[in-house]
Amino acid sequence: MGWPVARLARLGPLLGLALVYGLFALIAPPSFTTVGTLETIARQAAIVGTASLGMTAVIIAGGIDLSVGSVVALSTVVIAALLQAGQGPVTAALGGVLAGVASGLVNGWLVTRLRMVPFIVTLGTLLIVRGAAKGLANEQKIDAPITGLNDVLAAVPPERSWQILPAGVWGMLILAVLVILLLRRTAFGRHVFAIGGNEEAARLSGIDVDAVKVWVYVLGGACGGLAGLLQFSRLTVGDPTVASGLELDVIAAVVIGGGSLSGGEGSVLGSVLGALVMTTIRCGCSQMGLANWIQEIVTGLIIVAAVALDRLRRR
Amino acid sequence: MRRLAPLLVLAAIFSACDRSPRIDPNRTTIAVVPKGTTHEFWKSIHAGAVKAARELDVDIVWKGPLKEDDREAQISVVENMVRLGVKGIVLAPLDETALQAPVAAAVRAKVPVVIIDSGLKGKAHSSFIATDNYKGGRMAGEYLAKLLKGRGRVVMLRYEEGSASTTAREKGFLAAMRRFPRIKVVSANQYGGATTETAYRASENLLAPLKKDGKLDVDGIFACNESTTFGMLRALQDGGFAGKVRFVGFDSSIKLVAALRNGGIDGLILQNPFQMGYLGVKTMVAKLKKKPIKARIDTGETLVTKANMDDPKVKAVLSPDLSEWIR
Repeated sequence: MGWPVARLARLGPLLGLALVYGLFALIAPPSFTTVGTLETIARQAAIVGTASLGMTAVIIAGGIDLSVGSVVALSTVVIAALLQAGQGPVTAALGGVLAGVASGLVNGWLVTRLRMVPFIVTLGTLLIVRGAAKGLANEQKIDAPITGLNDVLAAVPPERSWQILPAGVWGMLILAVLVILLLRRTAFGRHVFAIGGNEEAARLSGIDVDAVKVWVYVLGGACGGLAGLLQFSRLTVGDPTVASGLELDVIAAVVIGGGSLSGGEGSVLGSVLGALVMTTIRCGCSQMGLANWIQEIVTGLIIVAAVALDRLRRR
Repeated sequence: MRRLAPLLVLAAIFSACDRSPRIDPNRTTIAVVPKGTTHEFWKSIHAGAVKAARELDVDIVWKGPLKEDDREAQISVVENMVRLGVKGIVLAPLDETALQAPVAAAVRAKVPVVIIDSGLKGKAHSSFIATDNYKGGRMAGEYLAKLLKGRGRVVMLRYEEGSASTTAREKGFLAAMRRFPRIKVVSANQYGGATTETAYRASENLLAPLKKDGKLDVDGIFACNESTTFGMLRALQDGGFAGKVRFVGFDSSIKLVAALRNGGIDGLILQNPFQMGYLGVKTMVAKLKKKPIKARIDTGETLVTKANMDDPKVKAVLSPDLSEWIR
């Protein structure tokens, strides 16, 4: 196919978002097209969006991280536990992110040292991290004192309307730019794509494949920890049962955004748009008063349709 | 054209499904948000809400969290309902703390909230309509003591740590037990956990050390919700002890009602979810009309036994006919 098609294909996720939004703007109640709804969509997409930044890198490198939902839960528990123990919000937030980094290190180490398939490794850590979160929380949710962390993803109060979006959404956007720069403008980023494209060729050309992979999973874990911070901000409690199944939303966002599960392809911007697409569907269905089962079928159809379109355009 | 096919499918789905709950700006629309939608309990709440909506000529939007029992999903539903522009929200919060911020945000956006079923911290909501769980637990204790004629060995199976409603029932039950000096509570620190399966296992482990020469060295048992009652019932049935010890449970289901009829269970304390849904919507409409409303409404607790289970009044709570209100 000629270059205009290829260029159009890169716009795929954006067109998808425009289509989904346009569709709901036509058929959903007028409340859907208000600025308030846009803000709600942005806030509700921030958690999946933030986690999808790291997942994009993992998937580009030919891996997968199924443990991210559990990492989000662990992060909320660590943050709440630190706050409850009298630590400041900054320490608590760092603790949450570090918990994510540690989980990422374990994933990366198991994948590279034991030469195990990432799907199986992270299926294992999905349970291990979830269990650790529950154990740390003593199988309950942890109530934490109210701090500034609770405002990170709360609706912007009228007196700070200059901010437009809450800090958590801005944080996600800034982080997205950083990850784009990392993947597109650095040697590390080129190595990630090379490994996902052809791991053996990358190894033969002198890339330290294992080191790059470990860093990619650490990035994935760190983004999971940050997503946990956003999740904590919304819940105001540390909840070891939260975000179960979130990994599938995150993977779907990456795939809708043009990521390929066979590695070597993926777009950070696309993934963020993918997260927005799914949240828009959820918000639109909710405002139309559609039953939850219809909402789930619609989301599933959109995922299949997005990937099908992607395959068509590659023929 | 081929590329448009998935969109056409979508459009077909949208137009095919029932979009009746869309908001009519000229009418009062109230969102009713349960913790989940599959359990019988929530269906009764739904039916009660529909009854109130018909009587008062308002519309309701019934919307549970996308993931059953998921705090994050319920927060999203509350936010979306505010955006949708409903006039008020009747909410059964999944968490007394986590739902505080979205409820406060709704109230700031001039959407009042009435809480049903489980408590919420803070003062943002207008009213709290639920079972008096402490009283329910005390009723269970008093009835068990009456069955035991004020003497014997008793065990209590708890539900889950941190669950406010069941903890109140457990406290009420233990308070009742303390009034009978010749009743000894031999175990009150075991938790059944979230599911019937975990409750079943916990019951087996709880009963195992109390078995003596093929007999159970216990006279009375109390379990504090539907899953622990059913788990305990199964453990008793397995050991052949069902009907041989006095057993009082909480909440009902088809299986528990059957056990009540054949003597495996001596009594159940029932809540009235239909009334919660009904009064939830009614109180919200009163609030919107600026009429005085009560800050706390007890929806009542009923002791059902084999003797009174066919009494029409009890039957209306035990197995209400919801078909008039919902499909």
